[in-house]
Amino acid sequence: MTDVVFPPLSKESPDAEGVVSTWFVREGETVAADQLLAEVQVDKVAAEVPAPAAGVVHLLCEEEATVAQGTPIARID
Amino acid sequence: MTTQAAAQAANPQQAGAPGLDAAVRLGLYETMVLSRTYEEAILREYHADKGPGFDIGKGLIPGEMHLSAGQEPVAAGVCAHLTTDDAVTATHRPHHFAVAHGVDLRRMTAEIFGREDGLGRGRGGHMHLFDPDTHFSCSGIIAEGYPPALGQAFAFHRQGTDRIAVAVTGEGAANQGAFHESLNLAARWSLPVVFVVEDNDWGISVPRTASTSVASNADRAVAYGIPGERIESNDVEGVYDAARRAVARARAGEGPSLIEVHTLRLWGHFEGDAQGYRLDLADAPSHDPIPRYETLLREAGVLDDDAVARIRSAASERTEDAIAFAKNSPVPDAASATSYVFA
Amino acid sequence: MTITETPTTPTPQSRRLTTSKAIVEAIAFEMERDPSVFYLGEDVGSYGGIFGSTGGLLDRFGKDRVIDTPISETAFIGLGIGAAVEGMRPIVELMFADFMGVCLDQIYNHMAKIHFESGGNVKVPMVLTMAAGGGYSDGAQHSQCLWGTFAHLPGMKVVVPSTPADAKGLMTSAIRDDNPVVYVFHKGVMGLPWMAKNPRSNDAVPEGDYETPIGKANVVREGGDVTVVTISLSVHHALDVAEKLAGEGIGVEVLDLRSLVPLDREAILASVAKTGRLVVVDEDYLSFGMSGEVVATIAEHDPTLLKRPAERVAVPDVPIPYAHALEYAVLPRQDRIEAAVRRTVAG
Repeated sequence: MTDVVFPPLSKESPDAEGVVSTWFVREGETVAADQLLAEVQVDKVAAEVPAPAAGVVHLLCEEEATVAQGTPIARID
Repeated sequence: MTTQAAAQAANPQQAGAPGLDAAVRLGLYETMVLSRTYEEAILREYHADKGPGFDIGKGLIPGEMHLSAGQEPVAAGVCAHLTTDDAVTATHRPHHFAVAHGVDLRRMTAEIFGREDGLGRGRGGHMHLFDPDTHFSCSGIIAEGYPPALGQAFAFHRQGTDRIAVAVTGEGAANQGAFHESLNLAARWSLPVVFVVEDNDWGISVPRTASTSVASNADRAVAYGIPGERIESNDVEGVYDAARRAVARARAGEGPSLIEVHTLRLWGHFEGDAQGYRLDLADAPSHDPIPRYETLLREAGVLDDDAVARIRSAASERTEDAIAFAKNSPVPDAASATSYVFA
Repeated sequence: MTITETPTTPTPQSRRLTTSKAIVEAIAFEMERDPSVFYLGEDVGSYGGIFGSTGGLLDRFGKDRVIDTPISETAFIGLGIGAAVEGMRPIVELMFADFMGVCLDQIYNHMAKIHFESGGNVKVPMVLTMAAGGGYSDGAQHSQCLWGTFAHLPGMKVVVPSTPADAKGLMTSAIRDDNPVVYVFHKGVMGLPWMAKNPRSNDAVPEGDYETPIGKANVVREGGDVTVVTISLSVHHALDVAEKLAGEGIGVEVLDLRSLVPLDREAILASVAKTGRLVVVDEDYLSFGMSGEVVATIAEHDPTLLKRPAERVAVPDVPIPYAHALEYAVLPRQDRIEAAVRRTVAG
């Protein structure tokens, strides 16, 4: 089981919160390693989140929900 | 300006200035005579059937007509350094550049006459001549021929060649946005372009002194970081010399240059222009560049009566052949009026 | 390479992309395949395009293929024209459709006319991309659609995708087309992280190489009671309304035009012949544009197809206001679409 973590986009404020702006996969989908999972955003900085491993993905938060950097946003079994 | 060009510019009647060999001089003269002969024939054909008054839409050549008499030195001097692989974008007054660059005279004339065998199958007319074989095009919108020339130069460079693009406008166009954007972009990207400005003193009826904030567009070139030269007195050999250097720069990958030529619009802005605004009109024929150059070449021993007669006759023959071809070409079928919009 | 209708039925395992990423995927494939394809415009390099049209392309293809220009639309659009004339396939970006004013001569008097004026002897295989549309308070000079203006001027094709899958297929078709193609992407369908987005702006996009045909509309939802002819972001608003009204037994057919030039008049006529009722939804200005053209298509062919007068839901002939409430009063959103549909099925 692998955590997919909200990346640290704001190095100056590691506690800053952001959002998952777009999920590209659905709950329960089978994903390949490096497949594009989500796009996240802190302030004006956006980043893509690729799958760290292959497997079945489980989403831990909704689009537009506020999430702290470093928090797991999905899990891959 | 080089000393030689400066000397010739200051003293255009001076015979035997060293530098250009006889063959080159002969070539310049022949090009100018062909261009003038052509324009005189188009003038004749254009006015032949507009009467009894002047109905612009009437006749075998309808519409506006902008003839280049007096501006031949610019075309001859620049195009002498080009091959048909180089691009030329010209203006609403394009014929001298088309002739000098080697556009097919028959197909060009057929286009002017609006015939099916014309360069554009009669769709474009005299201001919209497109010849892919010689990469020649022209546009009726002031200054807007400059930007596409940048693109042709860009493509030639990307394709790994030393081909160049020559972009021509008038002095009035040097106050249009496209002129300034093009100089900046060509300079910034070091594109193989030669910008030519034909300063014939008149933007239709408005003299340059009333429209332009600087005395010379060569000064504006400097503002964009590129070399600029102004050739005075409609001097074909001065143009030839400046163009030689500008073309060489472009081919060597050294970027664009600007050449402004103080030239002469012998006739009206368009045919039908009474030119009431033009105070120098009576004076203009005395500055005709072709008789002046002929005199110079006669004095240098490059021309004599036989040579002049031969050259004029050849020009006349080619011109009349092109006109006959045009007149024999079919008028486009009205049912095809909406064809050729999309490839 | 296959030329197909865009597969529109996503499977549970279909890979999803936002419209902006779908566009980039198409451009990247073509740039890989054809070295004469290059992209130029303002901020298209390391910024990735102000509205996400070129994200990642600079890293992949380098600064000779993805080129930042000065703020000189006339010059760089003209440069695209000249390069296209000499055999390259440029994609030139006009940052906002609203900026057409500063460079319209190169677009409509040159790009669109050279092929015709040359009697077909010169081709201009160029794509002119541009962002359009409002809904995020960018004001009158940065919120316009203007596709009707481009469509009105002869000599250029005009495509306006609404979905990620169509965006990819239409971009591929546009690049491969030997004609000038104006490719308009509504900012609201791009799926950008920094702008409120419609859920359908992130959707299934087929892998691999496919072309979506230019000039063919798509029935994105079938229905028997009324035809909604629309384009771009308004397709999604129309679908929202259709889904809601289905619950009341009202069958709304939504026809996504996808292209304005050529216009798929046959598809419009076929749908209206079936339903007898027409609502046109267009985020461009009401008068003298796309919605009038759709209604004229019916009127010229057979006005008796209509059981009720046609309804047009468009931006009224006013500059788009800045204040949110004012802007949303003029945009053709779900509330106005629903009201128009109800009016037309009531009679």
